[in-house]
Amino acid sequence: MQRRDRVFAIIERELWTLLRNRVVIAVGIGFFGVIVGLSGVSMGSPGGYVSLTYDLLLPVEVLIPTLAFAYVYRSIRGDDERGELDVIRTYDVSRLEYVTGVLIGRTAVLLVVVLTTLGVAGVVASQGATPPVEFFATHQAGDTPVVYIRFMVFAAIYTLVASSIALTVSAATRTNREAIAAGVGMLLTLAIGLDLAVVTLVSTNIIDAGSIAIFTGLSPASAFRGLVLEMAIQPALAINPSVATASPLASAISLLSWFGISTGITVVAAWPETR
Amino acid sequence: MLGRSLPVVLVVVLVLLSYSLVVPVGNDTVKPAQSGNTFDLGLTDETIREVEQRDLSIPRVQVYYSSYEYVVGFNTIESFLAEQDRAGHQRQFGQPVEIFVSDYAGTNVSLTEDGYLTASRHVGLVDAEDTFVVVDSHARLPNGPVAVPFANRDAADKFANEYGGDVVPWVDVAETISPEQSLTRDNFQAAMDNRSAWADATVATARNLTDRPTSVVVGEDAPSLAAAIDAAPPNTTVRVPPGTYRTDGLTVNKSLTILGAGSATRIRGDGNGTVVHVTAPRVGLANLSIDGVGDIGSRRSMLNASRLEQAGWSENIELAYGRGDAAVRLINASASVLTGLHVNTPSSGIISLNSSNSVVHDVELHVTEGDDEGFMGVVAMYGPLVVEASQFAGGRDGVYTHRADGIVVRNNTFQNSRFGVHEMYTSRSLVRNNTVRDTRTGIIIMTRPTGNLVVGNDVRASQVGLSTAGSSSYYAGNVLSGNIRGIDILSFQSLVERNTITDNTVGIRSGPGLPTNLVTANDIVGNEQAATAGLGPLRVWTVDGEGNYWGPMPGVDGDADGYYERSFRPNSPIDEHLHDAPGAWTLAQSSTIALVRSVQNTVPGLRSAGIVDTAPRVTPVQPETLAATQASNNSTEVAT
Repeated sequence: MQRRDRVFAIIERELWTLLRNRVVIAVGIGFFGVIVGLSGVSMGSPGGYVSLTYDLLLPVEVLIPTLAFAYVYRSIRGDDERGELDVIRTYDVSRLEYVTGVLIGRTAVLLVVVLTTLGVAGVVASQGATPPVEFFATHQAGDTPVVYIRFMVFAAIYTLVASSIALTVSAATRTNREAIAAGVGMLLTLAIGLDLAVVTLVSTNIIDAGSIAIFTGLSPASAFRGLVLEMAIQPALAINPSVATASPLASAISLLSWFGISTGITVVAAWPETR
Repeated sequence: MLGRSLPVVLVVVLVLLSYSLVVPVGNDTVKPAQSGNTFDLGLTDETIREVEQRDLSIPRVQVYYSSYEYVVGFNTIESFLAEQDRAGHQRQFGQPVEIFVSDYAGTNVSLTEDGYLTASRHVGLVDAEDTFVVVDSHARLPNGPVAVPFANRDAADKFANEYGGDVVPWVDVAETISPEQSLTRDNFQAAMDNRSAWADATVATARNLTDRPTSVVVGEDAPSLAAAIDAAPPNTTVRVPPGTYRTDGLTVNKSLTILGAGSATRIRGDGNGTVVHVTAPRVGLANLSIDGVGDIGSRRSMLNASRLEQAGWSENIELAYGRGDAAVRLINASASVLTGLHVNTPSSGIISLNSSNSVVHDVELHVTEGDDEGFMGVVAMYGPLVVEASQFAGGRDGVYTHRADGIVVRNNTFQNSRFGVHEMYTSRSLVRNNTVRDTRTGIIIMTRPTGNLVVGNDVRASQVGLSTAGSSSYYAGNVLSGNIRGIDILSFQSLVERNTITDNTVGIRSGPGLPTNLVTANDIVGNEQAATAGLGPLRVWTVDGEGNYWGPMPGVDGDADGYYERSFRPNSPIDEHLHDAPGAWTLAQSSTIALVRSVQNTVPGLRSAGIVDTAPRVTPVQPETLAATQASNNSTEVAT
């Protein structure tokens, strides 16, 4: 069996595990409902893509890690618990291949849910807007779907990072209870903790104002938010904020690092190499 | 196999989506919009019609704003600057992205003898950035001086050499041209005091006319009223004892006072035409009853088409409203007084043309009811009158004005007519403390005038209480209650404040115009629907952090400044029912709503149509007036 085939076999297995799970589907529908529901609020409003991106930024930032945790935390943990991990190890599968397969499989489903949801939300929000009175000259004020599509791209990257972090939790914990506790802790840290830390550090002058962009980029949620603000919304604003809203480079490096480091830890934590 | 295909599909999708990162976002170069395709501000309809009639030219500004989807046009640079300066302008429109301005270079621009701006060639629009503007020259339009822009310095210099003024580059224009008076309570109160003082002085002067010495007594010194007028020397009084005096049209052509004994002195026309023609200044008609008026309200339809075509826009209106039958008709009769009159008419009551500073005081006017039956109570054309302490019933409009700038209509009652007060092409008027009942619209302003003051009126049981139009106007302290709609806001750049709007089907309806009105410190409670909005972006009804009173809110006023830290959206499905549907209050407290609201407040300019008050008041602005209005409505309901 080729190495690639082995990875695909694991992906296949993960996909079907998720797709057979009713809770997973229910959570997906929940995510879909919330996001599309929120976008429905801006239905009927003219000039919606910039506003829609603003609207969805915060909910997406919080809900994607939640969704990722729900979809991923049981993966390696569950295999271990049911003893399947020991079975898998009897095959000719390296832990890198195993982790890659699990990550791709789980993330694929996540991405389908996230992208479908955001896509539908974009379409819903653009519907029902009273078309401008044609008699009058109008302009777009920079409001194009490109803004929203960029937002979707960043959301996809953020999903991948969130998924890899959730997978680390799944691999590094030894019991279900531990996994849930660590997962919730991770969510709180991502959603609130890291930003709170930066705010505290700035307000106590430990970080000077010049480094806010760098330190803000350290949190994946803030890195995602920074990318959306700086690279999707900001170009569409007719009048730019006087300074950059975030450092895209810091954000990109941060997201890449979170992905790399967490995946590395996952690989190491999946099972000890020598046994 | 799903395991192979899905990741591949996702990668392809992501690559495609990533293409958006290289597609440029942002504005292409914008071009000026076609004239007539923009929402326009600046200049009254009166000025624009005068400009058209005299073939003058208006310098135009066209602006693309960052937070406003429609292109906004301005008549004159002055009006553009005034809007830039207006409180709350930037919150609603954002910043100008692109500004275009008229270019008078190479247009054969010149000034008429009166200093009016004309250009014989087409005046195009150019990017404002590089233009030069001639300010403080002799150039003007019927409303006042105008700055004249040129695409190049040479042309501007040439114009300035010929007609005076300074040449300034566009960037310095804002500092050079002094802005109009801003829309503050103090400014409007000062204007109101000014107008009231004028009216008081005018009334005091006019009422002196009733103290003239008696020279002729009808029936004793002269056989008839007409003979008495012939016999009486100017500046004296003709006394008319009780009785009925028949006439086929009486003309007062010298400065006399005709003094009756009250309603027992009756001047009766023959049912054709106008009963009393006043054609001299300083005439007094006092304590009389007048009837027997002809029944033709408007003679316009009797004229042939070519006659109407010859007439200018204003004369056309005069033909329609100023030439009908009336009990009294004033022509060039300035500083006259009509007081203590009782009038019954199937057409108009009093028509005044070119009779500035005349006074209608304590007149009881009964116009035959029904739109097609009676006509206007008072028609005021050209020149301001004071109409006060009078009672109007029936007919079309109680007071109809046409180009009667500065007219004061105060302390009157109007009922059972189409409109109470109807202002056309009339600016800087004061409509104060009038009581209106059972009309289609209590007080209606039309044709984009400027500087009108509508204050302290009480309109009830009408279809619309107050309908606003034009700019720089003040609608304040009115009580609008028990109407189908309290206020229709169709105005621009006007201050709507301290009104008590209660028990209407719809409190305020905001029309589709540019969101430039300041709506603050009104008490809007107990209406079936607090406010509705027409097409257009979100209107923010909060001025400098001060909103309106809409009733209790599910929010807090943490800093105790008298305003809730929660916005109110009278059109939102939940806020709309805060005060009439059980449970809406709890739903409104939900964190979801808070989330939605926080994002909705981020970018108002591009946001959905509707109204938001970002700082609703905790307590009513005028609690006594509100309580009294609601109490009187309740007692009426019990009585009926």
